[in-house]
Amino acid sequence: MKKLLSVLVAGGIIFGSLNAAETDHRSMLMKDMRTMLDAMEQIQRGGLYSSTDEMKAGIKKLQGTLKTLESEEIKFILPKDQVYAYKFAQKSAHMLRLYSDDMITSIDAGRMDNALDDYNQLLKQCTSCHIRIRNW
Amino acid sequence: MKSATLIPSKLLNTDNIMDRRNFLKVVAAGATVVAVNPSLIRGNLYASDGALYKAYEKTQLVDAAGKPIKASALLKEVTYIFNYPYASTPCMLINLPQPTEKEVTLKSESGESYVWKNGVGKERTIVAYVAICTHQMTHPTPNDSFIGYVPKAKKTMAYDKSGVIVCSSHLSAFDAGAGAKVLGGAATQPLQAVVLEHAADDTIWAVGILGQDKFHDYFREFRPEFKEFYGGPAEAKKLVSISAKTVKLTEFTKEVIQY
Repeated sequence: MKKLLSVLVAGGIIFGSLNAAETDHRSMLMKDMRTMLDAMEQIQRGGLYSSTDEMKAGIKKLQGTLKTLESEEIKFILPKDQVYAYKFAQKSAHMLRLYSDDMITSIDAGRMDNALDDYNQLLKQCTSCHIRIRNW
Repeated sequence: MKSATLIPSKLLNTDNIMDRRNFLKVVAAGATVVAVNPSLIRGNLYASDGALYKAYEKTQLVDAAGKPIKASALLKEVTYIFNYPYASTPCMLINLPQPTEKEVTLKSESGESYVWKNGVGKERTIVAYVAICTHQMTHPTPNDSFIGYVPKAKKTMAYDKSGVIVCSSHLSAFDAGAGAKVLGGAATQPLQAVVLEHAADDTIWAVGILGQDKFHDYFREFRPEFKEFYGGPAEAKKLVSISAKTVKLTEFTKEVIQY
């Protein structure tokens, strides 16, 4: 009886911790996504108010969220039916880094047309990934 | 007072002036040459009768060592990559397991119809398409590839049958044996086709591109990527000349992703 009880308790603990880990990953993803949205709005606001500092601050904020998406951890935070497509999410993150790096270069060089193109591409990467991963 | 439009009589050498008959002969001869081989002219053949074709420099497909690719040596159902007509625009070359369809009428996104003739080679099985998805321009890079031919023995999530070209980004499927017409997924127009010529010595040549031009959008969208892989946008836009190196997709890229 004691054995059965301890097996049940151990099982409960393992299940609970797995569940907690999943919830942790999910909440981490949601937090990152909210930060990304905030960053995109900041870049746009900077562009509309002609503030390159504001734009760059937004880019830095965006880049801060990419680590998780670029890593293998992405497998734990994607919806279960989309885990197989984690490479696509990683590719999207890679492209976000590429365009955001180029945006900083373009701003520093005063090529605002290129910076605007980069912003459009950032937005496109976001929606492209949402269409794919979230069955939009 | 002399009129400005008068030509001095000493300049009027009638031997040097082409008469109407000769002029018509030259035009007719030129038209015949172009009709026989459209690749002899550069520029748009953008006719309302169904052609949507742009000729580029006639370019021979060669292997990594520079030796001409022979049609009979191409492995079946393997995706090969060569860059054409620009240094950064990847194209797929595939030797299909069965002959292609003939005279396939396709429709561009803007509603124009055009005709894809057929595959080349002894058995009409060799086809080439621009490997830039018409949906969101996914294309193979030296790092990874989400687009390629799915052999018949493999399964794909994009379509209920294999033996098709699949873009695994948003799961678009294209008919490899029918001008890359859309079979399913988010794409709304066929992949651009590379017009090939199969010479008597079994060599393969690319001569032009058929379908709605996406290159301008591609160059604009992937400007930052060109720095990484080609040294910059100017280098990426260079037209391919004389020959195009053709390698297996698995040699062109580090990772092939196929769903």
